[in-house]
Amino acid sequence: MKLMYELPERDERAFAAAVGEGEKRMYCLPYNIEVDRFVSGWMVFTDQYIYKILDGELKEKFKLSELSDFSTENLYGSCAFYAKENGVSRLLCRFISGRNLPRYSVMVKACEILAEGGSREPLTNSEPERYCPQCGRPFVLHTKICPFCQDKKEIYRKLWAMTKGLRLMMLFPLIAAALSVVFRFVVPAVQRHAIDRFIEPALDIERGSMAEFLLIVLAIILLDVCHRAIDVIKQRMAAYSGNKFTLMLRALLFEKIQNLSMSSVQHKSTGDLMGRINNDVSVVQNFITGNLPTYFAQAFSFLLALVLLLCLNPLMCLFVFIPLPLTVFIIVRFWDTVRQRNIHAWLITRRTNRHLQDILNGIRVVKSFGSEEREIVRFEEHTERQAAQDESNAKLFDTVFPLLGFALRLGNYMIMLYGNLKVFAGTMSIGALNQFNSYASIIYEPLMQITAIPRNISTFFTSLNKVFEILEEEPEVADIELPIDIAIEGDISIRDVTFGYDSYNPVLEHINLEVKQGEMVGIVGHSGCGKTTLINLLMRLYDVSEGEILIDDVNIKDISQNALRSQIGVVLQETHLFAGSIRDNIRYSKPHATNEEVIAAARLANAHDFIINLPEGYNTMVGEKGYSLSGGERQRIAIARALIHNPRILILDEATAALDTETEKLIQDAINKLTHNRTTFAIAHRLSTLRNADKLLVLDRGKVAEFGTHAELLEARGIYYKLVMAQQRAALQKQM
Amino acid sequence: MSEVKTKNPAAETDEDAALFEKRESIMLTPENAVFSRSEGGLISLDVTRADGEREHFERVVVLRSFPITDPDEYIAVREPETRKSRRGHEIGLIVHIGIFDEKTVALLNEELDRRYFTPEIHRILSVKEKLGYYYWDVETSAGHVNFVLNNISSNIRILEDERIFIFDIDGNCFQISDVSKLDRNSYRKIEIYL
Repeated sequence: MKLMYELPERDERAFAAAVGEGEKRMYCLPYNIEVDRFVSGWMVFTDQYIYKILDGELKEKFKLSELSDFSTENLYGSCAFYAKENGVSRLLCRFISGRNLPRYSVMVKACEILAEGGSREPLTNSEPERYCPQCGRPFVLHTKICPFCQDKKEIYRKLWAMTKGLRLMMLFPLIAAALSVVFRFVVPAVQRHAIDRFIEPALDIERGSMAEFLLIVLAIILLDVCHRAIDVIKQRMAAYSGNKFTLMLRALLFEKIQNLSMSSVQHKSTGDLMGRINNDVSVVQNFITGNLPTYFAQAFSFLLALVLLLCLNPLMCLFVFIPLPLTVFIIVRFWDTVRQRNIHAWLITRRTNRHLQDILNGIRVVKSFGSEEREIVRFEEHTERQAAQDESNAKLFDTVFPLLGFALRLGNYMIMLYGNLKVFAGTMSIGALNQFNSYASIIYEPLMQITAIPRNISTFFTSLNKVFEILEEEPEVADIELPIDIAIEGDISIRDVTFGYDSYNPVLEHINLEVKQGEMVGIVGHSGCGKTTLINLLMRLYDVSEGEILIDDVNIKDISQNALRSQIGVVLQETHLFAGSIRDNIRYSKPHATNEEVIAAARLANAHDFIINLPEGYNTMVGEKGYSLSGGERQRIAIARALIHNPRILILDEATAALDTETEKLIQDAINKLTHNRTTFAIAHRLSTLRNADKLLVLDRGKVAEFGTHAELLEARGIYYKLVMAQQRAALQKQM
Repeated sequence: MSEVKTKNPAAETDEDAALFEKRESIMLTPENAVFSRSEGGLISLDVTRADGEREHFERVVVLRSFPITDPDEYIAVREPETRKSRRGHEIGLIVHIGIFDEKTVALLNEELDRRYFTPEIHRILSVKEKLGYYYWDVETSAGHVNFVLNNISSNIRILEDERIFIFDIDGNCFQISDVSKLDRNSYRKIEIYL
């Protein structure tokens, strides 16, 4: 997220005039509101002063060393940035919340550091930018796509590169479309021949024979059949190539998402990712297989018709175009109204539905307060509005559609008028007029869609862009060029590790830790102290900001992620079992494990006894729609899953938090068995779970507060001692 | 979140103590409260409690209990939130702003208007839709503004008294207090969303 904006020229001049020598410009942010106006002002933060600049003038200047107690406050709709100047509260500036609150939140921290004379290194904020740097408008939600500034050429280029190998296949629908257009044009020409020769022969043409007439009829039928056959083939080809393309795109997307780093996946919602894999890819497919050939065919037939009309009769061609502007105007206006009306109708329907859903969900409340009558009246109001809207829409559309049809035929009427005059005068045959008229109708056809085209194209581009956005993302945690595949023994040393999801907010600071192979380390601390973060770093879901983590004296950045994670077993508090059988779930990390291995792992996890008593044993289906297992049972399956590949390092993140004491004992027992000879990190609420830990690590606000054995820490009477005492007291109270 | 509490009853009781120690919120009247402009241009308050104890607050925050329906009633006066104390304590409530003298009312209203900054839309120049986002170009009491709306069905709110509130994607709030007073062109642009 941007913290250093460029100042506009005159503001830059004002700043240059005000700034002292040797001051370092650290941050520059916009502020948006002054008293009761929207303005475009700037706050420039140097290492000594804050300059407030508006419209090329320095408004105020604050000396950082005189400021303290920085804060932001959420007002209604906007936010304010406050500080104390020599103990006096001041409002430094006001800004639009959505746009700038995250930035000013960083400033609160940054100014504190500067005011206390701390580091002169500018802080950064890893939150993704949500506004287009070019036009300032917000990006489409969850993306970096600005609907106004998308580089279409670039996207075309990428799309083109992507269609490699499919191009020929994708070209075919276009060729077929063009062919079918040609057939459409041949039919009126043949008809003209038929009319002029047989039905209403002009005076100077001899009437043809019956055989010739039949031949013409046959030709017309044949042409029509060919035309339709090509259409069928075209559709089938389009479906084939489109599906092939979609398949490839979806597979690529899914593969990419699976391989993205935790930190980039974290910024995206599941719904958004699903939307990209399903909806956006479908939009792209529909455009390529449906819209594109249609537009192509229409453009082609428009041009072809134009050329033919000009060749047939340039003057009459003029009549086709005279009403064109009017027709286009009517169509555009009409679709505009239709769209607006539809939005309105949709809004009203939505309001009714929402109301209905609200009331039905709260039906018990409605009944218990006896307010049924009132709700009936309120619902009627809603439905009446909806009915009125629907009626008015229906009336309008039923009136306008015929009018629109008329507008579309305006050109034909004029041709008829002029053409018939010519026919009466004998300068044109009826067949020729008919042919001309048919072509003129073809010209008007694409116009109906004229308003939908820009909309479709822009939707297509955005979807495509969203797809590419994922495909092009660079994973933040990447393997080095030649990663090492080591067989891990389990010695771990963490050396001076500092890490924060945002640089201004370190979650862990200067962590040092040595763990011997086979030791079990319990991690204790208040929530938010960095326990899970430490585990995430060990699994290398994120890379450390400073310092290093070594496994068997090898930096984990040098180990291939595959090798690393395949030798770490993880049991989380929330156990997600995939849809499938228990066996499938247990051997998730080792798909070819033998049944014997599966049972052995289940036995180790104390899960075998309950699994064997299920009607379908290890084949019992679990997951969303499967057999419902208790929390403890699921947890034990998760433990078996973590054990099946015999990991050297085991991580238990609150693995027993959600369980009752009885089940916990079972799991505790399992854990005791499985931590044997494995380096284990266990996070636990209940300190009793950590009874057998060799070492205990107490984290406090991102720092190592205490580290040692149970006895040592009790002796020290520090945080751990207090925690143990508190839990014992709580346990005693429960018993009483 | 509950971790701290279950783990550390000591901390919990400290917190409770702090909660109970909190002064009781009192009714603020011209008799016991004097609002003045602080040196920093914000609002200061001097309170005299029932037991005669006097207290000075360098800066107070004023909040409306019913900002939309009854902006002048039940105005809460609180200590500002800071990063350290997080939640500011409530000093007292003003039943109705009108019980104070004009100068104080003006002072409080200035601060309240700043907080509840809701520019009135005078004219709608254009509303364009692109990919489900609505780009508005309007003239308001706070100047000419461009703003973006998504999800019109929930971000255009029509109150019972027919006032219209519009919340943009950045969290700004705009209002139209009487839609029938808009000029014809502006009305036509907003009509379909009502």
